[in-house]
Amino acid sequence: MVPHQSVFKDESKLDINYVPQKLPHREKEHRLLMEFFSFILHYPEKMAQRVIVTGEVGTGKTALTQNFGSTLTSEANKRSIKFRYVHINCREHRGSLAPILHRALTVFEPSFPARGYSADELLTFLLKALDTENTHIILALDEFDSLVEKEESDAVYKLTRLQEMRQGLPQRLSFIFIMRDLKAIDRLDESAKSTLQRSIIHLERYGKNQLIDILNDRVSMSFELGTVTEDVIDLVAGLAFSQTGNARFGIELLWRAGKYADSEDSEVVEPECVRQAVSAIIPSLRRSELASLGLHEKLFLLAIARFFRESDEAYVSLSEVEKTYAVICEEYDEQPNSHTQIWTYTQYLSSLGVLKTEVLTIESRGRQTRISLPTIPAVELEKEMMVTLHSERA
Amino acid sequence: MKILKLIYTLGSLNVSDVARRVKLNYTSTAKHLRILESEGILQKRTYGRIRMYRFNEGSKKAKAVAGLIEAWEERPAEKNHGH
Repeated sequence: MVPHQSVFKDESKLDINYVPQKLPHREKEHRLLMEFFSFILHYPEKMAQRVIVTGEVGTGKTALTQNFGSTLTSEANKRSIKFRYVHINCREHRGSLAPILHRALTVFEPSFPARGYSADELLTFLLKALDTENTHIILALDEFDSLVEKEESDAVYKLTRLQEMRQGLPQRLSFIFIMRDLKAIDRLDESAKSTLQRSIIHLERYGKNQLIDILNDRVSMSFELGTVTEDVIDLVAGLAFSQTGNARFGIELLWRAGKYADSEDSEVVEPECVRQAVSAIIPSLRRSELASLGLHEKLFLLAIARFFRESDEAYVSLSEVEKTYAVICEEYDEQPNSHTQIWTYTQYLSSLGVLKTEVLTIESRGRQTRISLPTIPAVELEKEMMVTLHSERA
Repeated sequence: MKILKLIYTLGSLNVSDVARRVKLNYTSTAKHLRILESEGILQKRTYGRIRMYRFNEGSKKAKAVAGLIEAWEERPAEKNHGH
């Protein structure tokens, strides 16, 4: 038996820790970071910088800063300037300053004892290591909110007032504080807050078209040519957009959908694979909600499920699904309801989050309602509807 | 050699960590480390009470020892290739 060929070319490019070489739609913010830290390439000992990067989940904060860190490191290497970019997730260290500083110190002293030292001591040791190595570092503290939550103003004070205690000595330590929003630092006292709020870069949530670009970029790196259609990318982008423009969610969804395609020996990633993937991530519709639908709403939903189960399209027009609905009504010996009534069902099911509807304006044909089934696998929905309808009629 | 191989592999180590790993007492380990430092093979950095030892990058002796460790580590791989 010939082994099935995977839809993936290199799935590691969809890994949560993978940092792409270029970040679509974050070029401006990347340039801004380069501007803020350009002094490192000219006079690293003369100054230090603190920058805050904010943005919702999946807006590219971590990818942007890590990508910037690697650009700056390679620029510094070219000029034989001693520089390190150190990225630490504060939440992984439960928001405690001492283990965070210990982690930073291990970049220079890999086996430094993990216990027995206070944050103050570790900070002094870190600076000593930097002085010995004659190096400037940018310490990027990701999920900085967790540090503020746990240690409040004291930790921020220790980090930011450091250089004042080192009058006349070279500057060694710059910071990037990464957090979802500035509310996190509201709890700090005024003086700690004022040391932070100097340079702020806010990442706006991605728009649907931007998400399409990002996903296209990752698809070209990680999937075999022609295995992911535009429709599937559009479907995934739509879902990621509805999750606060979360690119990470979209990328994870692509990976999962690819896995479902492989497990079914499919040569392409079908919309059904995306639906299966999303149902594994987002809790799908509760059974009680389905049971409370009216008879024709159920028949209509069964029609949609059946259409998508038999088709490899990601979208269907309302008029198209009406034809399937008519056949289902015949099967169940029911008179089909009018177009207006069906349109009302569509709106209601859409408000429940079972369906997604979009109105398209098509030249010469006017407006058309396009339906997709983004979060529930068609097979599961069909099964569920048939069981519900059967028990209702029994 | 055991101490040198350990420090070369891990990058840098403090005295008690070396002692624990090579199963020697603290005093003997500290003495060995001092000798290796005075020979210029190892370098010491002091952080408060902690003394961290690492290979002395600028020393020819350290480079030679590092070369020997690398060659030693490669031996089993060569055997596997049937040489």
